[in-house]
Amino acid sequence: MGTVDESGAVGENVNRDGDAPQVVGATTVTDETTVTEEGTELERSIGLVGGLSIGVGTMIGAGIFVFPGLAAGRAGPAAAGSFAIGAVIALLVALPASELATAMPKSGGGYYFISRALGALPGAVVGISIWLGLVFATAFYLVGFGNYAAAVLAEAGVPVAGVPVVVPLALVFGVALTALNLFGTENAATLQNYVVGLLLAILVVFLGYGGLDAVGVFGTPSTPEEFLPFGPFPVFSTAALVFTSYLGFAQVATVAGDIKQPGRNLPLAMVGSVLLVGALYVATIFVATSVFGSNPLSRFGETAIVEVARALGGSTGAIAILLAGLLATISSANASVLSTSRAVFAISKDALIPRGASRMNLAYGTPHVALAMAGGPVLVLVALGEVEVLAEVASFLHLIMYGLICVALVAMRRDEPAWYDPDFRVPAYPLVAGLGAVASFGLIAFMQPLSRRIGLVIMLVAAGWYKYYADDVALKGVL
Amino acid sequence: MAESPELSIREPPTVLVPVRVLEGQSLSETLVEFLAPADVVVLGYHVLPEQTPTEQASMQFEERARTAVADIADVFETAGDAVETRVAFTHDRDQTVERVAGEVGATAVLLPNPAGDIEEVLVALRGVINTDRLADLVATLVAGGERVTVWGLGGDGFDAATAVAAARETLLDRGLSGDQLRTETTATETPVYDIIDRSPEFDAIVMGEGGETLLTQLFGDDAERVAEGAVAPVLVVRAAPEPPE
Repeated sequence: MGTVDESGAVGENVNRDGDAPQVVGATTVTDETTVTEEGTELERSIGLVGGLSIGVGTMIGAGIFVFPGLAAGRAGPAAAGSFAIGAVIALLVALPASELATAMPKSGGGYYFISRALGALPGAVVGISIWLGLVFATAFYLVGFGNYAAAVLAEAGVPVAGVPVVVPLALVFGVALTALNLFGTENAATLQNYVVGLLLAILVVFLGYGGLDAVGVFGTPSTPEEFLPFGPFPVFSTAALVFTSYLGFAQVATVAGDIKQPGRNLPLAMVGSVLLVGALYVATIFVATSVFGSNPLSRFGETAIVEVARALGGSTGAIAILLAGLLATISSANASVLSTSRAVFAISKDALIPRGASRMNLAYGTPHVALAMAGGPVLVLVALGEVEVLAEVASFLHLIMYGLICVALVAMRRDEPAWYDPDFRVPAYPLVAGLGAVASFGLIAFMQPLSRRIGLVIMLVAAGWYKYYADDVALKGVL
Repeated sequence: MAESPELSIREPPTVLVPVRVLEGQSLSETLVEFLAPADVVVLGYHVLPEQTPTEQASMQFEERARTAVADIADVFETAGDAVETRVAFTHDRDQTVERVAGEVGATAVLLPNPAGDIEEVLVALRGVINTDRLADLVATLVAGGERVTVWGLGGDGFDAATAVAAARETLLDRGLSGDQLRTETTATETPVYDIIDRSPEFDAIVMGEGGETLLTQLFGDDAERVAEGAVAPVLVVRAAPEPPE
């Protein structure tokens, strides 16, 4: 503050505090390490399973625990097709993101690609808005956790009726999660693997049993209802609604700097997690519409899947699926906190926000400032409520990033810099990236005007911050 | 070539010395002197929780880590031995040590412990071990006349007496004198505890890696348990074959 007088004289590529982006210089990326200019080795320690569990863990949730009733009400059993279309669109973005990630396996993910391919201004807008977007999403997951925890308590017979437990539960869990990440020397990422593993196990048992039941292995087969009761158009508009449940595969790229064999594991983790989650979503709709038919299902609304589980497995089934919902919110929240702190680190390293944000604390070895910048606002938002609107704003900001990732791929391929050498190349890239960009930006049209306005304001504020704080910082083409 | 009698050391042994460098771990001068006859690679490392990108830690602490490693290298150089240094930030200590050990073709990895004057060296045999490597290492390190006890801990199908005899033979081949060398064998089912029990009699311990079992998964491998329980530094002779070239 007040020391801006020098900034004009200092010249190029510094921000208002006089910091330049910390360019690591000639690093060498191998399958097992990144080697800095000085020869220090940065070990890569997250394998394919870890990468998949970040992708799957972030995504899985809404498609099973929120949307089945709503989607079946709009498109009938063909809602399964809507989820499949959503997966295809997600793949159109996941492929370009994979190529860029193998060319630039660094912390920061989408922000990093966009700032290098399109320049510092788009980079700053995406970087800052994705930080906020992740904060909003995390708050939404925490409230979801509160809801599921309250429902589990109610189902288990604990008298909580009339007491508002959702927000306190969400806050307690949010504090615990932030503390775990701040002080945990035992690894939060390993916890992630177990949570996702247990969640997948519950879902596979549930969907397997439900699927066998639907085709008549137990008792009588259910009568198939008409597949397209409302015609083909709602299948597409419903795809726009449920696309939210695929947001998150690009989070794998935020930990790209820590992934072993990045040339192989990054594309596999991103594409694999989209396919895995997509298959689970399609199976869920199939089972849910077989058990109830789409009409009754839509009347259950957001708790449809719990009723399906109750019909299939009684009270045990209901508790199991509520537990799965609880695990899904835990894994999504945890993965989001992890990637938020990496997103903050990436923009702070590039001097787009004050350097202090990337400080870490030697005693615990954790990035305490970045984690506080993730956890603090999350708790405030949870306490204030209104997280549903913010969740859609988060989706808006993600879609902007996805669209720009596709644009970034085209920009990179147009004039390939000498250092651009991805291990994985998207086949027919103009088509894939073009469709990916059109689909990502197009889906924004299906959002509520309020979310779009808030999202736009956030982007403008981010751009304004860049102009104020870091106008001279140049990042385009800087590896 | 290994047969040729005038070549007492088959190959110069390489010892990897991993040091938790940002936590102020250091090596005592006597240990440095003891290791100096071997080719030493000092690996300064820092373990981070997975929520911290290694790049972030290196931005802030790279200089500090490199300085600390250079200081340790200086101590070795004063003792007359040029050393190679490596610096690594990691989420997984074992993965990094294993990788670097493979890359430098390490004969043995040191698990540091405080050490006084090193005069008595224990070579504990409690499973299959690469006798040639073991002998190269021990013969090089005890050229100053330190006394060596080869102790076979038999049991569970491991023929300790034969292993001890073979080790003794190879060590004598490599130039150890008979009065430098003692041997004994014990039948036991709990070699790790027995080694820890007797460790106060010795100033340094040399042992093999030992295989992976359910027990080692739970409690860490044998050598790590010995290093935790004993006061002496432990040299773990690697089982893995050397890389080609």
